[in-house]
Amino acid sequence: MKTPLVPAPEHFTSRLRSPHVAARVGLWLGICFGICFLTGLISHYAQNPTQPVPFPASPSWGYRVTQGLHVTTGTAAIPLLLVKLWSVLPKFFERPPLRDARRLLLHGLERASIGVLVAAGIFMLTTGLMNASQWYPWGFSFRATHYAVAWIAIGSLVVHIAVKLPIIRDVLAGDVDETRHDRPTAVNEGAVSRRGLLRTTWLASGIAVVASVGSTVPLLRDVSVFGVRSGDGPAGIPINKSAVSAKVTASATSASYRLEIAYGDRSVSLTRDDLLALPQHSEILPIACVEGWSASGSWTGVRMRDLLDLVEAPAGDVRVESLQESGPFRITTLQDNFARDDRTLLALTLNGETLAIDHGFPCRLIAPNRPGVLQTKWVTRLEVFA
Amino acid sequence: MRTRLALIGLGTLVGVYGAWLLLSRQDFDQLRSVAVWFVAGVLLHDVLLSGVVIALGLVGSRLLPMSLRRPATIALIVIGTVTVAAVPVLGRFGARADNATLLDRNYIVGWVVFAVLVLGALALPWFRGWFRGSFRSHLNRRDKA
Repeated sequence: MKTPLVPAPEHFTSRLRSPHVAARVGLWLGICFGICFLTGLISHYAQNPTQPVPFPASPSWGYRVTQGLHVTTGTAAIPLLLVKLWSVLPKFFERPPLRDARRLLLHGLERASIGVLVAAGIFMLTTGLMNASQWYPWGFSFRATHYAVAWIAIGSLVVHIAVKLPIIRDVLAGDVDETRHDRPTAVNEGAVSRRGLLRTTWLASGIAVVASVGSTVPLLRDVSVFGVRSGDGPAGIPINKSAVSAKVTASATSASYRLEIAYGDRSVSLTRDDLLALPQHSEILPIACVEGWSASGSWTGVRMRDLLDLVEAPAGDVRVESLQESGPFRITTLQDNFARDDRTLLALTLNGETLAIDHGFPCRLIAPNRPGVLQTKWVTRLEVFA
Repeated sequence: MRTRLALIGLGTLVGVYGAWLLLSRQDFDQLRSVAVWFVAGVLLHDVLLSGVVIALGLVGSRLLPMSLRRPATIALIVIGTVTVAAVPVLGRFGARADNATLLDRNYIVGWVVFAVLVLGALALPWFRGWFRGSFRSHLNRRDKA
């Protein structure tokens, strides 16, 4: 057959491009998108300063698992999306039914919903993948946009599933090699069987995960050749934001550094030595990032509760201020249930070493089950709002 | 049909909520950047990537012997899709001079090892066949001698 310049659906003759393949890959892609959406909502809620239902402090590894899952399922979705789009490519070249106004309208609506789904799906996976490696070549706010487009992606996915439900049900109930829903021209045997194509897709998806998940699963660090972080860093823990980029090197190492603790008109001012003289506690807690990396460390320092008792503060949210001059997380809110938890520390050492400046020297917040961006480094002020 | 209509309604509402979030929380320049990335992602896939894959398919079906088409297809799917997922680390675009813990692996060497392992695994049955074949022909020659 002569190769056309702009193909039509009938020019695609491989029987691998079949709804029987697309629905099976789509099922797993939908599961990955669903897990990404839910775990993304969890992270977004955890970062909200006000929470009608308090985000739980237990289990301490909860956020680590949900955000590890978020990035893992996002990564697994990339081979799935590429194969899924490949399997339905002939649809892209379908001519609209121009002579029938009703069919044209329905066709247009379906096309529009698929267009939104494809664009939003590619956008979510691309920006998420780039965010995990801290690559931001755009002018929009990553957090706000990734969150908003997630709703668009899931909404258009639900519409797509609803439109295709009868065919999805039918092909998933039948054998993968059936031809009932195939295009008439999709008759040429591919280089692999349909089962072979599906197995290869699962394999590619699995490899993509194993090759990157070492950033959060220590056991796989050596085989995760595409892991954004190998797991090393000061005191054996990687860092996300350095003291240099936060512009705190001078203020954090200055002899005039003080930690202010305030409640109403009561306040105390402590040096790092004062903090070291208070009762010290050690907790093994993970530091976990929405970007998917996490690491567990043994943190030692003063209990937040003990510090708040110095100003006789009652239960209430705590405003935590960093020495950072700017940035969206310079000031964070530590909710009451975290502030009163025995495991929440103002850490002074990590894994037996003095806290490195990139880990937040002179002291940093470490609380169980909390997003990494809220584990404020270079803390200089705590204020209780009861 | 009622379930499907309800799902279409629900999905539309969820999508419209996302669009409202997108439009209401950013200024015009940010929205323009979102639009550029929305379109660029689709074009990169639908035109560039799909075009390359279609071209590879056409070339492969004409040039490759039948026995190599299956392993070549599997290699293309596995190495191709995993490489797409690894683009940000392979290019080290997010690397920062002030943070040595970020992108701290030799990703190119990692990619070569990964590609060699996949190709090696695919070549294994061929080597086995070749070895058996040459062993048999060796035995045949010896018997004849």
